[in-house]
Amino acid sequence: MLKINNLKAKVEEKSILNGFTLNINPGEVHAIMGPNGSGKSTLSNILSGKKGYDVSGEILFENSDLFSLETEERAHKGIFLAFQYPLEIPGVNTSVFLKTSLNAIRKARGEKELDALEFLKLVKQKSKDLKFDEEKLNRQLNVGFSGGEKKKNEILQMSILNPKLSILDETDSGLDIDALKIVANGVNSLRRKNNAFLIITHYQRLLDYIKPDHVHVLMNGKIIKSGGPELALELEKKGYESFS
Amino acid sequence: MEEQLKNDFEKSFKNSNFSSKSISLKKEFLNKFIKDGLPNKSLENWKFSDINQIIKKEIGDLSFYNDISTPNKIDSAIYLNGLEQNSIVFINGRAEKIDFQFEEKNKIEILDDFELNNNYSEINSLIDLNSAFVEKSFKILIKENYSLKKPLVIYHYTNKKIKSKNINLRLNFILEKNSSLKLIDVLNDISEKNFINTFYSFKLNQDAILKNYKIDNKNNNNIKYSFTNIEHEKNSLSETFIVSSGSNFNKNEINCNLNGKYASAFINGIFSLNKKKHHEIRTSVNHLTELTKSYQLIKSVLENEARAVYQGKIYVNSEAQKTDGYQLSKAVLLDETTEFNAKPELEIYADDVKCSHGSASGSLNENSIFYLMSRGLNYKEAKELLIKGFLLDVVEKITDSEIKNLIKNIVGLKE
Repeated sequence: MLKINNLKAKVEEKSILNGFTLNINPGEVHAIMGPNGSGKSTLSNILSGKKGYDVSGEILFENSDLFSLETEERAHKGIFLAFQYPLEIPGVNTSVFLKTSLNAIRKARGEKELDALEFLKLVKQKSKDLKFDEEKLNRQLNVGFSGGEKKKNEILQMSILNPKLSILDETDSGLDIDALKIVANGVNSLRRKNNAFLIITHYQRLLDYIKPDHVHVLMNGKIIKSGGPELALELEKKGYESFS
Repeated sequence: MEEQLKNDFEKSFKNSNFSSKSISLKKEFLNKFIKDGLPNKSLENWKFSDINQIIKKEIGDLSFYNDISTPNKIDSAIYLNGLEQNSIVFINGRAEKIDFQFEEKNKIEILDDFELNNNYSEINSLIDLNSAFVEKSFKILIKENYSLKKPLVIYHYTNKKIKSKNINLRLNFILEKNSSLKLIDVLNDISEKNFINTFYSFKLNQDAILKNYKIDNKNNNNIKYSFTNIEHEKNSLSETFIVSSGSNFNKNEINCNLNGKYASAFINGIFSLNKKKHHEIRTSVNHLTELTKSYQLIKSVLENEARAVYQGKIYVNSEAQKTDGYQLSKAVLLDETTEFNAKPELEIYADDVKCSHGSASGSLNENSIFYLMSRGLNYKEAKELLIKGFLLDVVEKITDSEIKNLIKNIVGLKE
């Protein structure tokens, strides 16, 4: 599904990714763990098309060259990034935004756009599943939401847009244990044979709830070790230092 | 210009019904205007909008004689759709229709006799020009305890048959005790390169409520100036909302005098400008007694060499203790060719007041655009959604829900 070959990225002459290589197949959950400044957020930004990086190497998503696609085209193809810091968008109603987003993607895929009633039904069900306070759907997007509510809102968006590849950028940071469970359950309930997850995190904690198939250690812009779920536990015990 | 002014003045009033006393007063205003000329940037209030230069460049020489002897046909397309309304229609400066069909006739008095006074002559020379040339000065009086059932829409329509380069209009409203009026002022021009100078005065007696919506959203090449004075007696309230978008140049001045306790004035508005348009809102809110309140929020979205100016002044005199005054302006500059000038001013002579002002301008947040694009919106859609959100916040301040929806439709904010 996703093939990253020898990805290098620089910002203003500073190298952040130094030959990053990763393959993700449908149905898999990959976790990337790394200390601060190892290039985790840069990776998720580049995957979703944020400008401002000087990149080389190759990224293929379902065999098409990701670099030739704009951010919104990547979303249309089924890439979703759950933001580490979801933005507050004043004046934009959460529900209206969700509908606009879903219909933009459906339209780009040649699918029928949902009308107000169909959308309402969908969003109500998904909110209920994720224990997302329905009242918040009528508030301005993320404005005045707590950290946990913002992250839940990301997972709500993910479940409504139903992407093929979901990238979760430190979704666990700032979550209390209850919110963490809700978010993890949300992710688990979306796991299918034909979709995949890339979970980027500092801590092993989230991986207690979302069981990854593969764990990778990212340091200084490249993967220095890969393994199964046990690698996360080893990291937790020994710290990143022991891998450097 | 002097000769043109004198000749056009003669033509305008040689066969008029004005008394000789009125004519001589009008002549005084004319002479004052001849002496002062159009306002220019050497005057503090005009330093961001030199209307003298703007008229010279965009129109050239003005002419002032407006022959209003022949009626114009009203094109029904000018009316706002889907709104039950009373209406006054001006076409090329001539009042074609005054219709209060939804109201009790004995609750509203309409007079068009001319009452000139010197009260506003100090403000600027455009008011003298208005006083000199205005043909009819309407006075509309709403009787005690009467609330108009439907909004009054005043249409200012001009077309190519216009005979003068300058139109002067004047409307005076008196709201008696505990009466209320919703007024929508709609500008709609087919004519080009005219200078339209309107003057509104409102007297709000105790407990009266005025909701005053001024809409300039249709693209046109005219130059507009509008002065609004609102006198507030005890516990009266005015809500003004300005949509400043369509004309080539438009300056709205709003002066509110809070003369009675518990009086309050709200002035909100949006500038949505492109294509070298230049608009200004200048407010002056005068807290003249204790326990009065004012609130102002102005938001601007500018692109393509547009320029917006907001000069907002809150004045609190020494008796106006417990004043609550607030003022904020925010601008989004969509490209580097645009300009936003803000001059917030507080002048306070009382010691127990709560007053604040602020102003901010900048471009759209690129991270917000990226966030929306990562959810499938293209760059243009993401930008538009952010702009809508930015403006919606101020449109939501409109307290009349029917008119709020109307204005949302007009400015493209309907969800």
